Amino acid sequence: MDPLQEVLRQVTGYIYPNEVELHWGLLVVVYPYLTGLVAGAFILASLVRIFDVKEVQPTYRLALLTALAYLIVAPLALLAHLGHPLRSFEIFLTPNFHSAMAMFGFVYAWYLMVVLLLEIWLDYRKDMVLWAQKETGLRRWVHRLLTLGANDISPNALRFDRRASRFITLIGIPSAFLLHGYVGFIFGSVKANPWWSSVLIPVVFLFSAIVSGIALMLLIYFLSTLLRAKPVDMPCMDKLASFLFYALVVDFSLEMLDFIHRLYEAEESIHILSQLVFSRLFLSLIILQAFLGTVVPLVLLGSVSPALRRKGILALPEELRRLLYAGAAILIQIGIFSTRWNVVIGGQLFSKSLRGLTVYKMQLMGLEGLFTSAFLLLLPILLLLLLIYILPPWPESEQHVEAPAGD
Amino acid sequence: MTQQSSRLLLVAVTLVVGLVTARHFLVPKTFGQRGHYRAAAVDAIEKLPIRYAGREACAMCHAEIVATHSKARHQSVACEVCHGPAAAHTESPGEIKPPAPRTRGYCPLCHGYDPTRPTGFPQIDPVSHNPVKACISCHNPHAPEPPHVPEECGACHGQIARSKAVSRHAQLACVQCHITPEKHKVTPRLVHPEKPRTREFCGTCHAQDARSSTEILRIDMQSHNSRYLCWQCHYPHQPEGD
Repeated sequence: MDPLQEVLRQVTGYIYPNEVELHWGLLVVVYPYLTGLVAGAFILASLVRIFDVKEVQPTYRLALLTALAYLIVAPLALLAHLGHPLRSFEIFLTPNFHSAMAMFGFVYAWYLMVVLLLEIWLDYRKDMVLWAQKETGLRRWVHRLLTLGANDISPNALRFDRRASRFITLIGIPSAFLLHGYVGFIFGSVKANPWWSSVLIPVVFLFSAIVSGIALMLLIYFLSTLLRAKPVDMPCMDKLASFLFYALVVDFSLEMLDFIHRLYEAEESIHILSQLVFSRLFLSLIILQAFLGTVVPLVLLGSVSPALRRKGILALPEELRRLLYAGAAILIQIGIFSTRWNVVIGGQLFSKSLRGLTVYKMQLMGLEGLFTSAFLLLLPILLLLLLIYILPPWPESEQHVEAPAGD
Repeated sequence: MTQQSSRLLLVAVTLVVGLVTARHFLVPKTFGQRGHYRAAAVDAIEKLPIRYAGREACAMCHAEIVATHSKARHQSVACEVCHGPAAAHTESPGEIKPPAPRTRGYCPLCHGYDPTRPTGFPQIDPVSHNPVKACISCHNPHAPEPPHVPEECGACHGQIARSKAVSRHAQLACVQCHITPEKHKVTPRLVHPEKPRTREFCGTCHAQDARSSTEILRIDMQSHNSRYLCWQCHYPHQPEGD
């Protein structure tokens, strides 16, 4: 059957003809999800650098590499969605300063070039120089090339690296806020759409980004130690879980604030939005986002992690505790993905006439299909493995400058 | 300046020079002169051949049709919407003839059933609405008649009507078995016709003691699968043969 006819059969109420089919599909769901992970992972890394949270030090480099891997893949979802990836360079050549969407190119370029690459370069430079001295073959050349010829590892040069890196992180925090706040801004500024149009959306996006980023790093750190057969640094996991809990509390409060605000305002859209929530979005919003993605992890982390009491409300053995953390982190990922789904897809399911609902028919194949999105969700992991191969983030790979003899 | 700063500066300068060079070669010269687009594109578009003639040009030769059309319900649909761009036809009317859509595929683009179309806009189900017949065999596209309720059930239920027409039930009117409220013709999806609800209904012709023609197949209503309605096993629009 013609896909349009199939969708038409499931339309309820009255909707305008151009609203039957959704213009922003799964790829546009993947895009804010990925950028959120970037911003979240970076903010976690900045905890070490700026706020000097010693416990999460083992995740610092891993978080930077994760942010880079996800940042490289994030715009691919948009490029695939727009359908003309080879034209994307045009926004850099002929920038339109009046377009919020075009500005993404600059926010992205700033974040990639000035923040992430620079911070990673400054952090790894000493190690790259030392690795290149010991290694042979291709790795040696790759590391040499990556140092850009800056092979000075005198104490003064290293001090410069540390200071510069700290400064970059300082710029990086507002930049990370800008990167994901911007994504929320794109949705929040669509004033014709009552599901999106809210000044709280950028802030909600930002905190959900922090939640998803910390949860991802908790998972990646846990899995990487398992795969490398190394002992899990439990204070680090506990601290990550505590931060995850705090971020989740703020995120949940903001979402509730947005929800209550909408209910109290009760604009003319409230009826169609409540229909939307209890029909089309019941599974993804009530079950996945609110219950499994927020309430269950909140209860899990709140009772097990040392966020509320130093030994946790339920004192559980370490093995069980970290498994529960990992479980909560997976649930949070599902919840945050559902959040993106509910915003992007949910915002297009109801008619601007506020009198009808359509449905989203997901494709399987093709650029907008499920397989492309699954590939884009998998790609950062593969990229991260490559980055880890080139720039090992583990403490044992870190090189130390030998003090000169007689010093 | 530290070694790192000088190297990073070098990278930054390379990038900026690269961007400026790329802009020099890749951005069209007339870009931005009149707005955020290539100004020369306007000249290029101006030079494109004109393909549409416009309704006035049609009226010069087809005055009668245009007069009818301009008063009819399709008056806001320009001639070239259906007949295609006709500038070439106006230049050499004898050699180039504009096409006219004579197949069933074209009219449903506007008149095919779609719940998002306004209520009252004439719509049909292209699959069941008088299948095979070309639209123009009943409707005059230059002066279409206002929509009216279907005269026969076959207008919408063509497949059933065709099956019934060659079956043993051909002589039975649809309403003999289906009590059909008049409103079904106007709002077919809201008001439905009824189906026979009892075995006795079919029995009026098919029971052993029925007062009907002797040629009609008889059945013992008591012993023949008494727990089922007849149409649960027999398809009444095309009942099986002897």
